[in-house]
Amino acid sequence: MKPALEVKNLRKVYEGGLEALKGINLSIPQGSFYGLLGPNGAGKTTTIGIITGLVNITGGSASVLGFDSVTEFRQARKLIGLSPQELNFDVFFSIGELLELQAGYYGLSNKEAKERTTIMLEQFGLSEKRNSRARELSGGMKRRVQIAKALVHDPKIVILDEPTAGVDIELRHMLWNYLRKINEEGKTILLTTHYIEEAEQLCETVSIINDGKIIATDSPDKLTQAHGMSGLEITLTSEVADLTLDPWTYNNIDGKIHVNMNHPEKEMAKVINQILEQGGGIENVQIYKSSLEDVFLKLTGKSLHEKDEKFETQEALLNV
Amino acid sequence: MFSRGFWVIVKREVKRFMFLYKQTLLPSVISSGLYIIVFGAAMGSRIGEIKGVEYIHFIIPGLVMMSVINPAYQNSSSSIMQAKFLRFIEDILITPLSGLEISLSYIIGGTVRGVVNGALVLLLGYFLTGLQIDNWLLTFVYLFAVAWAFAGAGVIVGIYAKSWDSIMVITNFFFMPLIFLGGVFYSIEMLPEFWRNFSMVNPLYWMINGLRYATLGIAETSHELSLGISIIFAIFFSTLASFMFSKGYRIKT
Ligand SMILES: Nc1ncnc2c1ncn2[C@@H]1O[C@H](COP(=O)(O)OP(=O)(O)OP(=O)(O)O)[C@@H](O)[C@H]1O
Ligand SMILES: [Mg+2]
Repeated sequence: MKPALEVKNLRKVYEGGLEALKGINLSIPQGSFYGLLGPNGAGKTTTIGIITGLVNITGGSASVLGFDSVTEFRQARKLIGLSPQELNFDVFFSIGELLELQAGYYGLSNKEAKERTTIMLEQFGLSEKRNSRARELSGGMKRRVQIAKALVHDPKIVILDEPTAGVDIELRHMLWNYLRKINEEGKTILLTTHYIEEAEQLCETVSIINDGKIIATDSPDKLTQAHGMSGLEITLTSEVADLTLDPWTYNNIDGKIHVNMNHPEKEMAKVINQILEQGGGIENVQIYKSSLEDVFLKLTGKSLHEKDEKFETQEALLNV
Repeated sequence: MFSRGFWVIVKREVKRFMFLYKQTLLPSVISSGLYIIVFGAAMGSRIGEIKGVEYIHFIIPGLVMMSVINPAYQNSSSSIMQAKFLRFIEDILITPLSGLEISLSYIIGGTVRGVVNGALVLLLGYFLTGLQIDNWLLTFVYLFAVAWAFAGAGVIVGIYAKSWDSIMVITNFFFMPLIFLGGVFYSIEMLPEFWRNFSMVNPLYWMINGLRYATLGIAETSHELSLGISIIFAIFFSTLASFMFSKGYRIKT
């Protein structure tokens, strides 16, 4: 099966000489929920721009279900819906007209465009705003219109460039559920985000992009296993001389035993048993696990977003 | 050749200027009305006839051209500028439409506005001065070709412009002087030789001369050449505009 989106050795040098993409490769399977994570300026929007025809390509290629994004742009672009990072609305028209126009640009008939618009407005809870202008809407509503615009022509592939930037928690969860639903119904989704929780919750596969290069691609779980650190921190009541924990190694820091392992919750019982068998007494056992955020920080040297106590990183534990 | 999406942009362009009719349709009717009253009625009696035509009628084709050229140019240039500035041009660039289709749809939008404005001024001429049109078909061909040419120029400037100023600069420093020097209010036979020769290299002179032939049946110089020049400009500007659009010049990064 052809990948929904495929990018090969993609390069972009902007006018003025800035090399935004330094040869990136992506293969996004049909039906998948795929995340592109990267710090500010990593090249996410540039990559999306090349796929959708907003940015001229410098080198390499991009294709959509096998259609080249440059030479077969008509077939390629028909398959995609894009919700750009920055809100952009045609100022002369109401929300309803705006969606109808967008559907029309993609070739839907008047009747189909009206029907799809009605469906979109209903799904996004905007039916009452059909005749309002974008400037009369709240930020969250504008974001919903922006996403509705990407979906109005019912594309197979949906690209969302930071779709939940600046929306409140409630709307974010509503959007997550919606995106999960349309993904289950068969749409391929490519998402960029600055919220690690969003990637962890939604994406089957994540590519981490930094400074114009893809530095890791895998499922959020595998990424944390491969690059993160997890294990057990055990406080002993009585020290054991020559404690051995087969097959693990451990560090003893101030009477606390640190054992690194991939699945601490599964191995915990074995470890505890070994300590007890060797005559140790246990006061407290804690699991530590690094998040995707920690992995991101480790791989890129940058934090993914402005500090937000809800998603506080576990840097402290990583440094033990 | 053209997809449905293409006609949707055309429809959007026409709706936009209809919505803004106070800025897009009324001004040329009002200013042409003033010119007809002030120049035509007040001064016409002193000047008398030119080539057997009343002065008040003589100036109308030039006024019509003014109302075709500026609105056609402004429609496509400001529409593109605005779409670029507020980034909703991206909504069009990501669709399956080609650069040629997008550029032509803006040109047609501007052409419609130019033709409508020109027709309104002709209508005004009929009501205020009883103007009768000599050759309807040829009149329409001129309105269409000239509107097309300047809507094309508008697309080029709209793509190129980085600010609203640059759009107005072209109107004020190029089009208006060239229109006035193109013999709207006088016959070039009234000019000294130097200025008469100067008029000959002014394409707008030829366009006005041609429309005068179509509406009034009088021409100072070859009306065939007038038609040729109008059509060549229409082809030249729209080809250049479409080429720029296809390359994504200043529109894609
Ligand atoms: N039009 C442009 N001209 C010149 N350089 C640009 C242009 N657009 C982006 N860049 C540069 O290209 C690099 C990648 O930018 P891009 O917008 O793709 O990053 P991003 O990953 O989307 O970042 P963010 O998370 O902040 O949205 C940045 O260094 C940026 O400054
Ligand atoms: Mg971006």
